[in-house]
Order: sequence, then structure tokens, then C-alpha cells
Amino acid sequence: MAERTEENSHQVIMIGAGPAALSAAIYTTREDIDTLLLEKAIPGGLAAVTDQVDNYPGFPDGVAGLELANNLQQQAERFGAAIEPTEVTALHDEGEWKRIETITGDYYAKVVLIATGSAYKKLGVAGEEEYYARGVHYCATCDGAFYRDKRIAVVGGGNSAVQEAMFLTRFSSHLDLIVRSKLRASEILQKELQKFVDEGKITVHLGVTTDEIVGQEGKVTMVKGTDTETGNEVTIDTDGVFVFIGLSPNNQFAGDQFQTDEVGLIKSDANLMTNVPGIFVAGDIRSGATMQIASAVGEGATAALKIREYLEGHPIDVQAEV
Amino acid sequence: MVKNITIFTTKTCAYCPMVKKFLSAKGLSYDEVNLDDEPHRQQEALALSGALTVPVTVVTKQDDTQEVVVGYNLAKLAPAIA
Ligand SMILES: Cc1cc2nc3c(=O)[nH]c(=O)nc-3n(C[C@H](O)[C@H](O)[C@H](O)COP(=O)(O)OP(=O)(O)OC[C@H]3O[C@@H](n4cnc5c(N)ncnc54)[C@H](O)[C@@H]3O)c2cc1C
Repeated sequence: MAERTEENSHQVIMIGAGPAALSAAIYTTREDIDTLLLEKAIPGGLAAVTDQVDNYPGFPDGVAGLELANNLQQQAERFGAAIEPTEVTALHDEGEWKRIETITGDYYAKVVLIATGSAYKKLGVAGEEEYYARGVHYCATCDGAFYRDKRIAVVGGGNSAVQEAMFLTRFSSHLDLIVRSKLRASEILQKELQKFVDEGKITVHLGVTTDEIVGQEGKVTMVKGTDTETGNEVTIDTDGVFVFIGLSPNNQFAGDQFQTDEVGLIKSDANLMTNVPGIFVAGDIRSGATMQIASAVGEGATAALKIREYLEGHPIDVQAEV
Repeated sequence: MVKNITIFTTKTCAYCPMVKKFLSAKGLSYDEVNLDDEPHRQQEALALSGALTVPVTVVTKQDDTQEVVVGYNLAKLAPAIA
């Protein structure tokens, strides 16, 4: 355990540098609050690996996820936010100072903002681990290019699955969308999807589970599933499988000190503060979050303003509307 | 000592600029193979990394040994260029 020094101590430390934390950092650093962000992967979070964002206000023609992420990062850095590439492994409430353990050492902060978002869920079926990154993928913008003129299967029926399936058609010779029950994507995305179906680029398999990813000689060749209505086995030939079946919270570092909901998202009061005084939470990791970039950005701004109040020693009005 | 570095990338990969930024910050130059522009080199990337993903960073040392880092993985990238 490293002792607290001037170098490893900050007024505010944000865990994660996705849209929620970057937005919060724009606000705190503009007010000269010394802010450090700890990021284990890529600044911009899930927004950075999303192909196109069409519903973020202010961009009438949509914006590439990576461009939006870069812009958020530049704006936070312009006011003095520092982003340290490291992974947080534990968080300890030691009273006035919180201690943050990372793979590169300890940090201390008066206030912590948890904005760690979530990670892709795995299917948990045979073949998934075996063919990981060699036929089974979780990031379309990262790995789609390896499937030029090849058959792709996408598993999932929510917004992400439909959006990423449409993106992947720029590479695939044909794409099969495998949906366990029915499509849960927004109506507008379903309408867009229908165009790809009409053009023969995508086949949608509703009510089909994914039970196994089968391969031969180190290559994925097929998805095996079950038709939930008839109970019959379904086989879909494919060269690669992209899985978008939802997200699970990045809360492994948090221990059991926080109140969480049944899926592990961290609960907050109306000021976005957790049950631990001085530790705030914003974005996709917060219980009740609406899992959108615009709302993550909004929560980041709210958290920053409430953090400022907290730092100033102002009593926090827990009844305040946010 | 590093002799040369090659990074396999694509245009849409968000982690690729992170690797490039990391290497530049360390004062290292690199050759980039963009697989969208040169799809025929995908096989090469696969053979080196065993994975159908980018970024793949190939660090060749002075003694011609190679270290291959898959993804934006600082825990592996930092020692590979040390
Ligand atoms: C495929 C896909 C498409 C999407 N499309 C849209 C869209 O079109 N419009 C829209 O509004 N939203 C979209 N979303 C949702 C949107 O991306 C999220 O709501 C938003 O990114 C949440 O921001 P966040 O800052 O809360 O979390 P994230 O973006 O998840 O960022 C959290 C960050 O924390 C980091 N982190 C996690 N754990 C640790 C740790 N222990 N130590 C250090 N760092 C850590 C992560 O690496 C990550 O960078 C999409 C999501 C996906 C998956």
C-alpha cells in the first residue's frame, strides 16, 4: 500500500473515461478542481467503439462514435483534465481521503466519481471461449473488417445488435441475425433493418436460441441453436459470430460497500451520491441509468456540479431534483 | 532495443489510434498496415497474432526476435517496447 503523497493525491478522481466521466471532467476542471481520470481501455468508453451515433443532440447528420469520443476527450483535456491509462482494482473509503488501488499503484482523492459503464455479456455456450477473437467477437468496428465477403452471424435483438448488424453488412456476403425471442430494438431501427432484409442482406431468425458455436480446423463454420416454438434444432452456416446480448456492470473493483440493484448497478441519491459520502456515480453503471450517451453526459454534468457543492462543504439537498 | 514496429489497423478500429498514440508518446515510430486498404495482408496479421482482430502490434528487436501484442493492452505493450 502506497502512502499518500502530494503527487498521488487529487481533489477528484474519476474511475473510467467514458462520456459520463469526460463530461464531468469538463465541468470540474473548468472550475479549477484538480481532476484525474483513470481509464483501463479507451477514452470515450463504449461510445468510442460504436460506429455511428444518430441520437446525440446537436449532430443533425449523426456523428461517428470515435469522433464524438475524441471531441469529448479534447474538450476535457483543454481545461486540464488528466487521463491516466490504468485499471482500478479496489476502492477504499478511508474517511476524508478515498484510496484507489490500481494495477500501477495507489491514488488518493477527496471525491471519487464512479463512471465505469458496462462490458459486453458473453453467451456462455460451447465454442465461445475456444473461438474468442478467431471467429467470436464483441466489437464490430474492431473486427468486422476480417469478414469481407464472408458470412456473419449476429446474436442479439436489442438496439446494439441491430445497429451493429447493419454496420457489418458493409463487409458480409450475408448476415444472419439470431434473436432468442423477439426484436427489442427501437421502432426506427427495426424499420431500417427491414430495408436490409428486403435487399436480401440480412436474414432475421426470431425465436432461435444460440446453443453452440461450431468450428472445423480452427475456424468457425456454424451456429447451432433451437427453434423455441418447435423445439427443433436450427443450424446456421457462418464464418464469424458477433455477440451483442446486453451488458453487465463494470463493478468488480467496488466490493460490497455500495448499495446495488439486482443486476449490480450502483444506487445513488438524487445528487448522484452513493451510500458512501464523497463517492458519486454517473452513467451506465448507475442504477436507473437509461444507457444512452446523452444521458451519461447529462449525469456527468450533474455529478460534477454536486461534487463541487460537496467539496465546498455545502450541505447536499438529497431531495433536489436532477 | 526496438528495431522496428509494425501495427496492423483498420479505419474503424478505435483502439488502433490508442496504440499509435502510446508509441508516439514513447518517441517510437512505426509502420502501419491498414487492412481496409490492404485486405490481402489479413492472413499475415492472423498468422502473427492468431486472432482476427486489430490492432496487432509487431515489435521486432535488434536481434530480430519478435513480440506480438494483440489489442490495446498496456500490460503487454509497455514491456514489449522496453
Ligand atoms: C454497440 C453499442 C452501440 C451504442 N449506440 C448508442 C447510440 O447510438 N446512442 C447512444 O446514445 N448510446 C449508444 N450506446 C450506449 C452508450 O455507448 C453508453 O450509454 C455510454 O457510452 C455510457 O457512457 P459511460 O461513460 O457511462 O460508460 P462507458 O462508455 O461504458 O465508459 C466507461 C469507461 O470506464 C472504463 N472502465 C471500466 N472499468 C474500469 C476500471 N476498473 N478501471 C479503469 N477504467 C475502467 C471503461 O474502459 C470505459 O472506457 C451504444 C452502446 C453499444 C454497446
